[in-house]
Amino acid sequence: MDTSKPGSNHETGHVFYGRGRSRYLFGNRIRAFFAYLVLLFFVVFAVGPVLYLISPALRDSISLFDYPPKLIPDDPTLDNFRFLFDSTRYLSWALNTIIFAAGTTIISLFTNVLAGYAFARLQFPGRNILFFLVLSTLMVPVAAVLAPTYLLVREIGELPIIGRPFFGLDTYLGLILPCTVSPLGVFMMRQFISTLPVGLYEAARIDGASEWRILFKIVLPLIKPALVVLGIFVFMITWANFLWPLVAASGDDYRVLTVGIASLKGQFVTHWGVLAAASLMTLIPVTIVFLFFQKWFVQASMAGALKQ
Amino acid sequence: MAEVILRSLVKRFGSVPAVDNVSLQIPDGEFLVLLGPSGCGKSTILRLIAGLEDATSGEIVIDGDLVNFVDPTRRNLAMVFQNYALYPHMTVYKNVAFPLETAKMSRDSVKEAVSRVANMLEITEFLQRLPEQLSGGQRQRVALARAIVRQPKVFLMDEPLSNLDAKLRLQTRIELMSLHERLGITTLYVTHDQVEAMTMGQRIAVLHEGKLQQLGTPAEVYDVPANKFVATFMGAPPMNLIDGELQNNGTEWVFTREDYRLVIDKVQMNIDEDALLSSKGTVSLGVRPEDMRLASSESKGIPGVIRFLEPIGSDLFVTVDVGPHSLQVRLPPKTQVATGDRIEIEFDYLKAHIFNADEENLQLT
Amino acid sequence: MADSKDHVTNGVPTGQEAWAQLQLSLDQYRRMGNQYRLRTLKRASGFLAPYMILWLAFLAIPVGWAIFLSFNDDGVLAPRYWVGFENWARTFDDTELTQVVFNTSIFVVLAITIVFGLAIFLASLINNHRRGENFFKVTLYFPLLAPPILGAMIWHFMLHFDFGIVNLIKVGIFGGEGVNFLGKNPRAMGSIIAVEIWRGLGFWVLFYLAGLQSVPGELLEAAKLDGARSFRRFLRISVPVLRPLFLFALVIAIIMNFQLFDSVKILTDGGPRMGTATIVWFIYRRMFAFQDTGLAFAASVGLLIGTMLLTLAVFWLLRQRSKGET
Repeated sequence: MDTSKPGSNHETGHVFYGRGRSRYLFGNRIRAFFAYLVLLFFVVFAVGPVLYLISPALRDSISLFDYPPKLIPDDPTLDNFRFLFDSTRYLSWALNTIIFAAGTTIISLFTNVLAGYAFARLQFPGRNILFFLVLSTLMVPVAAVLAPTYLLVREIGELPIIGRPFFGLDTYLGLILPCTVSPLGVFMMRQFISTLPVGLYEAARIDGASEWRILFKIVLPLIKPALVVLGIFVFMITWANFLWPLVAASGDDYRVLTVGIASLKGQFVTHWGVLAAASLMTLIPVTIVFLFFQKWFVQASMAGALKQ
Repeated sequence: MAEVILRSLVKRFGSVPAVDNVSLQIPDGEFLVLLGPSGCGKSTILRLIAGLEDATSGEIVIDGDLVNFVDPTRRNLAMVFQNYALYPHMTVYKNVAFPLETAKMSRDSVKEAVSRVANMLEITEFLQRLPEQLSGGQRQRVALARAIVRQPKVFLMDEPLSNLDAKLRLQTRIELMSLHERLGITTLYVTHDQVEAMTMGQRIAVLHEGKLQQLGTPAEVYDVPANKFVATFMGAPPMNLIDGELQNNGTEWVFTREDYRLVIDKVQMNIDEDALLSSKGTVSLGVRPEDMRLASSESKGIPGVIRFLEPIGSDLFVTVDVGPHSLQVRLPPKTQVATGDRIEIEFDYLKAHIFNADEENLQLT
Repeated sequence: MADSKDHVTNGVPTGQEAWAQLQLSLDQYRRMGNQYRLRTLKRASGFLAPYMILWLAFLAIPVGWAIFLSFNDDGVLAPRYWVGFENWARTFDDTELTQVVFNTSIFVVLAITIVFGLAIFLASLINNHRRGENFFKVTLYFPLLAPPILGAMIWHFMLHFDFGIVNLIKVGIFGGEGVNFLGKNPRAMGSIIAVEIWRGLGFWVLFYLAGLQSVPGELLEAAKLDGARSFRRFLRISVPVLRPLFLFALVIAIIMNFQLFDSVKILTDGGPRMGTATIVWFIYRRMFAFQDTGLAFAASVGLLIGTMLLTLAVFWLLRQRSKGET
C-alpha cells in the first residue's frame, strides 16, 4: 500500500462507508479538475508576467503608448537589445554581478566550512559561547548594519596599502567581503559536519592525520551535497542583492545588475523597451541554469528556511 | 618495548567517575582483555589510552613516555573500532594506505606495505572496492589491515567482534589470536563477552563501575575470583551464592542457615580468620554449578527441591530451590531426576568460596 | 609468596624503578596540561580565524557601532556628537517614522495572511493530486529566480497606466479609463503587496508542501479509516503536526517582510505622499539623502531589536514545542 500518496486511494474508488461507488469517483474527478484549474491559474500568474515582457522588449518604446493598445507589436525589432549592449553598460554590470556573486560564494564557502568544522568537531574553551554569539547575529537586518558597514568600508578604503584599489568603496573586495558573513552558512556547515559519524574522526586522528588533513581528505568529500546547496543559496541571495551594492558600489565601473537595471528607470523619462529587454536578458541565463539543476535550487531555498 | 602503564587513572564525566582510580601494568607483547558489563568503563579506558578523551587525573605511559598530553596523532597506536570506522568514500586500498600517506611515505613503500598486509589478511581481491560493497567480516579485516599496516606500538580493540555473526566471530577470534602470535604487538582488547576473554586473553582485567575488580590469568579469574562480582560475572551459568553464618569452632568451620548446617574441617577450607572476625560472620558461600553434585546417600548435603530441568544434551542443568535461593547444578546428562524431587546437594569444599559483603576470604593454597 | 592478604592482585608492582620515575609533581602536571590546552586553542583559531575576523569586522562591530551611533548625531559626514536619548525620543515624535512603521505593519499583516493562506491552499492541492507535481513545483518557483528589484520592475510593466496588461484587460473588458495603480493610495500599497505575493508564493508553496509531505502517512491512513473526510483530516491531523513548522515560518516571514525595500524604492519611491514608505526605505533615505543619521540609526537599532526579539521568540517557541510534544 502506497502510504506516501494519501490522495491516490481516491482513484481506486475504495468504498468506505457505503457511498455509492460511482458518485464517489465522480465527485473526485470534479474535485481534481478544479484543483488543476486553480493550480494552472497560479502557474500562469507566476510565469505570465515574465512572458509579458517579451512584447515591450521587441518593440519601440514609443509604440507602447499607441492607442488602441496592441499586445503584439506591428514590427518587432531587436533595437532595444542592441541599445542595451551598445549604449548602456549592461555587460559591465553583468560581469560585475558575476564577480560579486561568485566571489562572495567562494569566500563564504571557504570560511564557513572551516568555522563549521571547528565548531562541530574541535574542542576548545568557549566553543559554545562563541557559537551562540555568532548565531545571535543570524537575523540582523541589513538595514541596521548598512550605514556602519558603509562607513567602515569607506574608512578602510582611505587607508594606505590595504585601501583602494584593493579594498574600499567601489572595489570588488569592498563589495564582496561584508556579504560573506552570514551566520547561516556556519550553522549549516556545523550541523552537517556533526552528522558525520564520530568514528571517522577518531580513526583518522589515531591514524595520525592532522585536523587540516581530516578536513580536506575526509570531511570535504563527504559533505559535497551540502556545499552545493549552500553555494547555490549564497549565490542566489548575493546576485539579487540591491541595497548593499546601491550604497557600496554606486560608481559606474562597479555597478551590478540590480542597481544598473534600476538606473534604467529614470526620474522622468524611461526607456521602457530597453528596460524590458534588460529584464529578459537577466532572467534567461538563470532560468536555463535553473531548469538543469532544479533539485538543487529547491533544496537551497529549503535550506534557508528549514534550519531547524 | 611497548609497555603500557596506567597509574591511578580517573576520568569523570560531570560528577560521575567512569574510570575510578585504575592502575595497570601491561608488559610488552601481552594480550590483555578488558572485561566487564556495559558501562563499566572499559571502553573509556581504551579511549583514554588512545587519546580520544582527556584523563581527569592519573598518568598514562606508553613505552616509557608519558602520553597524557600528547595528541592521539602522535601516540603511535592503532585502534579497531566496533563499527570499523572505514572511510566510506575511499577504496579499501586508500583506506589502508591512509595512515601511511599521512606519514608521507613514498608511494612505492606504501604500495609494498599495503600489499603485504593485504596478503596477510587475505583482502587483496577487494583492494579497489568501496567499503559499502563489502560484508561485515570483510570490513573487519580491512579495519585490521589499516591498524596493522602502521606497525604501531600498541593495538587497541574496542569490541571488534560484536557486529559479526556467531560463526564469523569464532573464525575471526582465531585469526586475531594467530595474528597476535605472529606480530607480537601489545594488545588491549575490550569486550563484555567472557568467553572471548577467556579464550583470547593472556590476562584479564575485570572492571565494574569504573573500578578494577581483578587482574589475572583466565584461570586465576575463574578459579580464584577476588570478589563477588568477578565470581558471578565469570562462568555461565553463574556461580551460586548462599547466605549464612560462618562460625569458628576451633578445628572446624560451621556454616549455618535456618534449615541446615555444614560442618567443615579446617583442613578442607582455608579462610582468613581475622578478616572473618571483622565482618561478624555473615557470609556468602559460593560454589559453581559444575562443582556441585547430588549427595551420595551417606553424607549430608544441602537440602532442596528441584524446580526446573534444562537438558541441553551434553549436560543437565537443574534449578534447585534452597530456602530463598535458587541454585543451578550441573549434572550428568542422563541423571534420573524430576521436578518436585527433594534432593541433597554436596560439593567439594576446596572449590568453594566464602565471601563477606564483597571480598573473598579463601586463601590460596 | 608475598603477603597473601593482598587478595585483589592488580599487577601493580610497588617500588619498581620505572614506576617511581614517572611521578610528576603537581606543578609539572598542570603545566603540561596547560600547554596541551594552548595547543588545541591555537589549532582551533586557525580554523575559526578567517570567518571570525570577517564576522567581527562586518557584522559584530557594525552592530555595536550602530547602537552607539543611535545615541549620537551625525558621524557620517560631520563629526559626531553625543545626544543621549534625544534620537530615541524623536522616534516617537517623528510623524514620518510613525507613518512608516504603520505602513510596514499593515503590509506585513496583509502580505503574510494572503501568501500563507494561498500557499497552504495550493500546497494541499498539490499534495492531494499528485499528477504533475514536479511541473507545478518548478513553475511556481520561477518568480524566486528574479531579484526582488527585477520582480518589481516586471510588475511595473504590468501595472503601467498606459500599456500595462492589467489595464489593457480592464479597459478591454470593463471599458473606461485605466487605473493608476501606483499613483494613488491605498492602491499603491496594494500593488506592492501584489508584487510581493508574486515573489513569495512559490517559496512558501514549496515550504508547506514539504511540510505536508512530512506528515507521517500512517496518521492520515488511520484517520481515513476512522471516517474522516479530507478537510477534517487536514484540520485535525495535518495542522497540529505542522503547528511548530507554521509558527517558525510565521516568525521568519514577519522578520523578512519587515525589511521590505526593493519594490518600494523602484515602484513608488515611498509615494505617493509616504503611502508606501517602509521602515528600511525610511532608514535609507534619512541616512543617505538627508543625513539625519541620528534618527536613522535609532530606527535601525529599533528594527534590529525587534528582529532579535522575534528571533529569540523562534528559538523559545521551538523549545517549547519540542518539550510539549508527547
